[in-house]
Amino acid sequence: MSRDMSSFKEVIKSNISGVNTFFAGIRRVFFGRMRYLLLKDFIMLRRDIGGIILMFVMPIVLVVLMANLQESTFNVVKGVKIPLFLVNNDVDELGSAIEREIESSGVFEITRGEGSSVSEMEMKISASEYLLGIFIPKGATQKIKGNVQRYVLSAFNGIEKAPLKEDVKLTIVVDPTANGSFYALIMSTIHEKAQKVQFAFIMKEITSQVNDISPVVISADNFSGEQFTVDAKFAIPQESNIVPNAVQHNIPAWSLFAIFFIVVSLASNIIKEREGGSFTRLLTMPCTYTEYLLSKAIIYLVVALLQFAIMLLIGFYLIPYIGLPALEPGHSLFALIFMALSAAVAAIGYGIAIGNIARTNQQASVFGAVSVVIFAAVGGIWIPIFVMSPLMQVISRFSPLNWGMSGFYQIFLRDEGLLSVLPYGGALLLFGTICFIAALLYKSRCSHYS
Amino acid sequence: MSEDPIYVIDIEGLVKRYKGRVNPTLNALSLKVERGSLFGLVAPNGAGKSTTIEIMCGLKSFDSGSVKINGLSVKDSLSVIKTIIGLVPQDIALFPSLTGRENLRVIGGIYGIDSVELKPRIEELLAQFGLTNSADKPVNEFSGGMKRRINLIAGLIHRPQILILDEPTVGVDAQSRNLILEELVKINRGGTTVMFISHYLEEAETICDRVALMDGGKIVLEGNPAELTKQHPDCKNLESLYFKLTGKQMRDTYE
Repeated sequence: MSRDMSSFKEVIKSNISGVNTFFAGIRRVFFGRMRYLLLKDFIMLRRDIGGIILMFVMPIVLVVLMANLQESTFNVVKGVKIPLFLVNNDVDELGSAIEREIESSGVFEITRGEGSSVSEMEMKISASEYLLGIFIPKGATQKIKGNVQRYVLSAFNGIEKAPLKEDVKLTIVVDPTANGSFYALIMSTIHEKAQKVQFAFIMKEITSQVNDISPVVISADNFSGEQFTVDAKFAIPQESNIVPNAVQHNIPAWSLFAIFFIVVSLASNIIKEREGGSFTRLLTMPCTYTEYLLSKAIIYLVVALLQFAIMLLIGFYLIPYIGLPALEPGHSLFALIFMALSAAVAAIGYGIAIGNIARTNQQASVFGAVSVVIFAAVGGIWIPIFVMSPLMQVISRFSPLNWGMSGFYQIFLRDEGLLSVLPYGGALLLFGTICFIAALLYKSRCSHYS
Repeated sequence: MSEDPIYVIDIEGLVKRYKGRVNPTLNALSLKVERGSLFGLVAPNGAGKSTTIEIMCGLKSFDSGSVKINGLSVKDSLSVIKTIIGLVPQDIALFPSLTGRENLRVIGGIYGIDSVELKPRIEELLAQFGLTNSADKPVNEFSGGMKRRINLIAGLIHRPQILILDEPTVGVDAQSRNLILEELVKINRGGTTVMFISHYLEEAETICDRVALMDGGKIVLEGNPAELTKQHPDCKNLESLYFKLTGKQMRDTYE
């Protein structure tokens, strides 16, 4: 029994001593040479003004600019700003009803041009005097009234054959410089208003025709064309304060872009040291290649987290000053930190891989920048993935920025927590680790480092 | 109790082949450098000098032979060897955006020198090489001679037992060259073994107590410079002896 106890004590003792040795090793590394490697990388980064501008100023400018642009496009559509040239040659009930509906929408600034022809209206639109033109032909009301009258008479007389119908053609002309989504929005607004007028007008005409035949007077005055209501809302928990808008998209999108742009500075930093010979000196000193890379990884991790924090602060405090809604960060701070860390690890791993594989600084800068832009383009930073072609949607799944965006959407648009971002953050961490290992393997194949 | 070996650099039958080359870069190279000596290794371009240094510092592997530094094999004890050797590479292997003092602080710190000891050591070396007043400028703003001197200080900061210098006087003016050579002699007299690698036979002849002439990846002649020229009375100096032994054909043409 006492022998068992003493051997147990020995095991505990040796384990404690092992743990102590481990921590002493960590202390020696981090308070010894690692401190100086970090100091070196910090000073080098601090003096790289171009790199600092690229990593901090560029994303700030981009996020403010892009959020503002996207929001103002939305406001143009919402505000009474769209110049419309309206030719109402009908000057009767239908024309007046359309005019009233267009006016009530509040979207258009209407200029009237009664008596003008379709070609005259087209000339004004093509000269960019107006963004939109609507032409209501002469006698439109009378033609519809005639159509309804013939329809009612046929119906009451039991005639199965469809009565003669005179076409009423409304012409809409749009400035070709108006972009696709704007055009689609305008057309849907016009169609909605036209449907409403058409329905009300036909209902009124049918009632009037029926009253001419029927001994009992029918009134459709209290009949509403809106028999169902549409309750549209975002799939966000009810207690959430998040409202999807340009800010909620742009802050995470450009933060991610900025984090990945450290690739250029990091890779170039590694290559400059290699080309200058200081890297070789480090390897002849008591410094391993892994320590050398670890020091860079720590410095750039701090940079990435700083970038993210600055972007969040801009979302909270600067963005409201330029008339945009403030950023709503969601409820899960852990999810936010986890995603930022994962994105940073992915970017650092990728930067280290490029820095090791590229032969020259130029190669690293061009390849690093272009590849990040491509990752961003296919990853949904600029345009949503759902509007991409099916092939591009498949390709986008391979972009680390897509994983990052998907994770950030869970936080900033769906107000989800840590569990729901784990797969996306995990993918980023895996990507970063694979890149880091690939860099080490590539280097060990090419050289003989301790 | 083990005694310090006489030879601090002991290379035996070292062979190094590069892929795609017919002849080995190092062809059974054997070299012994005595403790406390100022040893000159003189060779033309492409003779295998840099490869030899890189193998000694553990930057390159080798095919066969043995390399011992202070009795320790580079294959087994590289981490210890790194603290014994001070390398002054041919390139200015410093961090160009850091000032002279910052460079030395970082390099000294990585060598594990205590910060209390490091500061006076930096100032002592800066004064020794005439760089005290310019050491707060970034190294990329230094003149060629100043860069060479700070490069040399970086190899000395941790008081190495063996100082290896690869072409330390390339591209410097006469004053800087003179200062560097004088200081090397002083450092050697202080007990540091110095291995001086150069193209310039004249420099080696002046300062070294022993020289080895290298050609085709091996040592072709070794001895005290004065004795070597005495043994070959038809040669007025080491350079003419070297030409006599190796010919005047260029060595770094494409193989």
